[in-house]
Amino acid sequence: MSFDADDEILQDFLVEAGEILETLNAELVDLEQTPDDADKINSVFRSFHTIKGGAGFLSLTPLVELCHRAEDVFGLIRNGELHINAGMMDVFLTVLDSLNSMFDELKLGQEPSAADPEQLKALDRILSGEASAGASEPEPKAQKQEPIESTATANENAAGSDSEEEKDFTDEEFENLLDSLDSEASGSSKQAGSQAAKEKSDDVDLFGLDDADDGDDLFGLDDDDSGPDDVNVSDEITDSEFDSLLDQLHGQGGSPSSSSSDEQKTKPKKEQKTEQKPKATVGGDSDIISDDEFEQYLDELHGKGQFGNVSTEDHGIDAKAEPEPKPAEVKPENKVEPPPPPPPANKPAAPEVAASKPAPAKGKRDANQVQSETTVRVDTKRLDDIMNMVGELVLVRNRLVTLDNNLANEDLSKAVNSLDVVTSDLQTSVMKTRMQPVKKVFGRFPRVVRDISRSMKKEVQLILIGEETDLDKNLVEALADPLVHLVRNSVDHGVELPDVREQNGKPRQGTVTLSAAQEGDHILLTIEDDGAGMDAEFLRNKVVQKGLMDHETAERLDKKECFSLIFMPGFSTKDVISDVSGRGVGMDVVRTRISQLNGSVEIDSEIGRGTVISIMVPLTLAIMPTLMVNLKEQSFALPLVSVSEIFHLDLTKTNMVDGQLVIMVRDKPLPLFYLTKWLIKGHEYDELPSKGHVVVVHVGTKKVGFVVDELIGQEEVVIKPLGALLQGTQGLAGATITGDGQIALIVDIPSLMSSRVT
Amino acid sequence: MDYEFGNQEIEAMTQWVTFMLEGEKYGIDVMHVKEVLRDIEIAPVPGAPPYVLGIINLRGNVVTVVDTRSRFNLPPREIDDNTRVIVIETEDQSLGLLVDQIAEVADIPKSGIEMTPNLSTDDNSKFIMGVYSAKGDLIILVDMGKLLGEEESMDGDLY
Repeated sequence: MSFDADDEILQDFLVEAGEILETLNAELVDLEQTPDDADKINSVFRSFHTIKGGAGFLSLTPLVELCHRAEDVFGLIRNGELHINAGMMDVFLTVLDSLNSMFDELKLGQEPSAADPEQLKALDRILSGEASAGASEPEPKAQKQEPIESTATANENAAGSDSEEEKDFTDEEFENLLDSLDSEASGSSKQAGSQAAKEKSDDVDLFGLDDADDGDDLFGLDDDDSGPDDVNVSDEITDSEFDSLLDQLHGQGGSPSSSSSDEQKTKPKKEQKTEQKPKATVGGDSDIISDDEFEQYLDELHGKGQFGNVSTEDHGIDAKAEPEPKPAEVKPENKVEPPPPPPPANKPAAPEVAASKPAPAKGKRDANQVQSETTVRVDTKRLDDIMNMVGELVLVRNRLVTLDNNLANEDLSKAVNSLDVVTSDLQTSVMKTRMQPVKKVFGRFPRVVRDISRSMKKEVQLILIGEETDLDKNLVEALADPLVHLVRNSVDHGVELPDVREQNGKPRQGTVTLSAAQEGDHILLTIEDDGAGMDAEFLRNKVVQKGLMDHETAERLDKKECFSLIFMPGFSTKDVISDVSGRGVGMDVVRTRISQLNGSVEIDSEIGRGTVISIMVPLTLAIMPTLMVNLKEQSFALPLVSVSEIFHLDLTKTNMVDGQLVIMVRDKPLPLFYLTKWLIKGHEYDELPSKGHVVVVHVGTKKVGFVVDELIGQEEVVIKPLGALLQGTQGLAGATITGDGQIALIVDIPSLMSSRVT
Repeated sequence: MDYEFGNQEIEAMTQWVTFMLEGEKYGIDVMHVKEVLRDIEIAPVPGAPPYVLGIINLRGNVVTVVDTRSRFNLPPREIDDNTRVIVIETEDQSLGLLVDQIAEVADIPKSGIEMTPNLSTDDNSKFIMGVYSAKGDLIILVDMGKLLGEEESMDGDLY
């Protein structure tokens, strides 16, 4: 199938499955910590399954192959036949990585490259290593099968085997399969109530079988019905399939109408279930229902009427899981073939339920619709547009406010005031729509930490705090890389090897804490480890040794400045370059990236106790609080983040130190720069005025003073990028339009400093 | 240019916005021109390439203004009442061209355009697509694509 990236179904798949992949990553890592968490196993199983379903529909064979096997393995794990160990986890994670890369290819509109045979083999090994049932070649069959067959395949999948012989699937085989599934009964009947499990000897197997089913058969079925709403269709379809499967098995012809009517009943529910999908109550009710249904099939098949007590119990369960049992219970009524001895407890219930069925189902569906309509997926481009327009509105508001100040008309000021309020509210609301929880970035860290700590043979525990803190979408994306780098560093450089830790009287397992919190209009992110900490003296010596700083300058650094040395380009304390760190480029890049976001980084550390790296970033990137200053009638905006204080100083009391103009502020020398010299053409050689406003800004950990002609005040500005011709102009972050309609240039202080001061 | 199949009877016409620079008449394809500005308040941008005069506020959008004289290697001239900024727009950017004076919109038959022989490699002729002469009037037609495209490489030369 040739495909095209615009294809709507493909896009839907990419978005939906993309989200699943993201959660899958976190779930897998979690699962390693708690390998027995049945909910998690189920949810991972379903995740793989859903991706497979979608991929199968789109004929993305490589994806299908990988997911299919992964799903098989998790099917076994789910049934307690396999236990998760670290080795398996490694395989799963590499599988996830290849899924991710296939996704990237898909996003670029390419056919995903074939699945790595090694990974497939690895999965197969896991499968065959423990699979009890006679396994034949696993071979995903997405398209060709009829529903019946796919059900059969699915069943077999659960048993850890794939078979191609469904066509002549006989009673004996079915029985064999049941036997092989025996072991699962314990697992699944946990949900059905252990009592039931005890009572049903041979029949219980079917539980396990169906259990596997409700997730599995989809794959085949997706090809029949349209793609996106595959997810939870399973149970219902299983019913109808099962009918036909049973019919086929017993050669009882059955009533075609019964299954088709089931099919129809299933349809509306399909939708409703799909809506529910995100929070898909994992193994829970669907399994149980299948049990319930199964009992009835069993009754029909075996004519055993002895399930009275069981079915009463099932009824208890029915209550929990309302709509689903209905098709099942209706069926025995329609189907007349076997001498129908449905258990007495069930019989009266069935018609009643059948009659009342449409209503509750519909009610539930409505409820779900309401729920689903509370969220809307919006293209980020559109949000950006809205944000831009709100930005314009803010500018107009600013203009009006300025005008109003000049006009002094009371009515006008009232109107302007309310406009002011509304605009501010609008601005915050729009900003909020762009907010995303930091979780989006944090989500990848369990995996990162796990991978590094495994490869470095360290034991590290990662604690995430404040995952729900909201952050501008762009920031979330922009922060991802720097954070990954810092966390890797914490694990690599910070946390010691377990033995060393023990010698130092610390627990073997190191702890890295990643936290996010909102502080006013800023977000504070901290990465804290309880590792070895940093030695300021060591860093001081190192920087001299590396020739990056002369001895005298290095001597003058205070402790925090020493720590900040690690942000210098070319500075690495590791003598050996590992694949994790040691190249001395990373931290430099981290700081650059964060300062591009108008943020700042700070390090604090104590030898033997650990290190804390704090990152401050503004809540949003689109609107920036600035300090407006005038230089020779031209306005410039200095990002307020960088401004620490403002002085009015007698500038005649300056000193020249080492060729640099400085002024003493609270007994500390402050380097002074005359901004007009730098930023206004034709004033390059101006003398410093005798009096002036000094804006003290911090660049990294250093403070410098900028002399400006006039201070205007604080203003929130919308950053307008400079055109292509001016892109990359040193020292400028962009432009903005001030309240009076003038243009003001936004100064990028770090870049200005580095371009003007050598 | 849309009328490739037009024959001699229906003359394919193109429209050009013409402007004056140092006494010469130049033309820009009307399709590229967004508007012409009279009030010009250009904010200079420190550190910008010399041919960039600065930026202007075009109803909330920031537009870079290029000194067309400097682009065409002509001597600089004071801004006066006739000075205009032609805002041109391509798919990805807007740009203002500062010109001495705006002339008119001229209809030029496609067949009348003489492609300039690539004789000189002067900056002057770098951006020229062709010339058109009628009634002793010579219009130098600017190749917008080249003018915009060349910016990148010019940037490279400057540093």
